[in-house]
Parts: sequence; structure tokens; C-alpha cells
Amino acid sequence: MDEDQSEETTFVVDEITTIIKETVETTIGNNSYQHEKINQWMSSIAELSLSQLTKLGKPFKYIVTCIILQKNGAGLHTASSCFWDNTTDGSCTVRWENKTIYCIVSVFGLAI
Amino acid sequence: MKPSCYDNVGKAVKRKCETTIAQKRDISLMDTGANTYLIRPNYKDKFKAGVAKECIGEILREQLYGVQYDPEEVPTLSRSLADSIKHKLKDMAFDRYKFIVQVVIGEQRGEGVKMAARCFWDADTDNYAQEIYMNDSLFCVAAAFAVYYY
Repeated sequence: MDEDQSEETTFVVDEITTIIKETVETTIGNNSYQHEKINQWMSSIAELSLSQLTKLGKPFKYIVTCIILQKNGAGLHTASSCFWDNTTDGSCTVRWENKTIYCIVSVFGLAI
Repeated sequence: MKPSCYDNVGKAVKRKCETTIAQKRDISLMDTGANTYLIRPNYKDKFKAGVAKECIGEILREQLYGVQYDPEEVPTLSRSLADSIKHKLKDMAFDRYKFIVQVVIGEQRGEGVKMAARCFWDADTDNYAQEIYMNDSLFCVAAAFAVYYY
């Protein structure tokens, strides 16, 4: 009984990584950086990921952040600091790139 | 006993683009969290986004004023910014709230950057605050999310 419960209520990084990678792949794919399309890509990545995550049906609140960066030789650093319950909550970050775009998606899951 | 479920490792993507995640082992909130059976905070105890935004802005201006983008130092700088913002939010004593602070620092080279967030949470109790700071050589975006622990 305890085993079943713990499977339902822990943050599984691998599953979420796969979901996010697929979402970014389908949304951007091989396209190059286009300023007009960025807004649309951002919204669709974030919204699609969120809807896939909620379909998992776990008792979690999710926060998905997405950063899209043009490849230009510039540097970028992301850091996050979280105050939560380490046994039940978790985060995962997926980095994806193609020839002209970097995409960084972070997912934070907080147990209810 | 719920098992600890994951490892998070920061890796370099290319030499110029790096992502790191620092996690704090803070469970003191949950230790004191005896059941209160409250499903939402009192109006007075709600997370105040305006106040948090000002605090974040102050911290960013203080720590980033006149700083140049340096690939060696920026990872430590972004981690320390995230930690200071989180400590400040904890000090503001929002009871029973979990915090997530994300800080992004990038070099100013005229490239196009876009950042967005979507959240699946309880809009009555949870909220977020964000602030942007720019100078000649770098830009910095800080976002703080506050989630109520029922």
C-alpha cells in the first residue's frame, strides 16, 4: 500500500524529461530563429508541456518556465533556489538546441 | 517512508551556455507544519506580489550595479542571487508558503531572448513576482513563485 502511494506522489524526473523533449521537438523542430514566431513557440511549448504534465494525474502543482535564446555566441546562466519539502517536491531542466536556437525548459513540481 | 527520488546535476551545454540548479535542503517548514486544516491563507497572510517585487528589485540593483559579464564569475553570482532572494522571502515571514526562485543572467550582445512561465496551481493562494535588471554588459531576470502548502 505504501509502495503504491509513493509511486503516485513523487516527482519522476525521467518521465518529465521525455515529455518536455518531445514537446520542444514538435514545436520548434528544425526551424531557425524567427522573431515573429518566438511568442507563439514560447506559449505553445509552455502550454503543451503543462497540459501533458497535468494529464499524468499526479497530485502536484506545476511551474514550467521556458527560455528561448538565439545562438549568437553570448553566454547565459540560470540558477534556481527552492524552499520546499525535499522528499516530495522536485525539479527538472531540459536543454535543447538546434542550429540557431537554444531552448531551456525548467519544470518545478510541488506536492499538494 | 517516502524515498528521495532524484538527482539533479548541472552540466555545460557548450562552453558559453551553462545551466545550473542549486537545491536547498530545507524541510524546517514541514517539520513545524502540524495540520492546520486551512485550505487558504488569511487575507493578511497572503503572498504579496508587489512587496516581493520591490525586494527582488532592490537585491538585483544592489548586487549587480556596475558588474561586468564574466563567464567565470557569473555562475556563482547567479546562485548567490537566487539564494539571497530566497532568504529575503523567507524573512518576510509568509507562513506555510513554499518558494521557488529562478535567476537568469545573460550577456548583452544584441541576441534575441524570450522567457515565459506557465503554472498549474491554485490561483487564490499562489502567486509570483518578477523583476528585470539591465546594464551595459549583462541582463538579469529574477522570478519568484510562492505556492501555499495546505
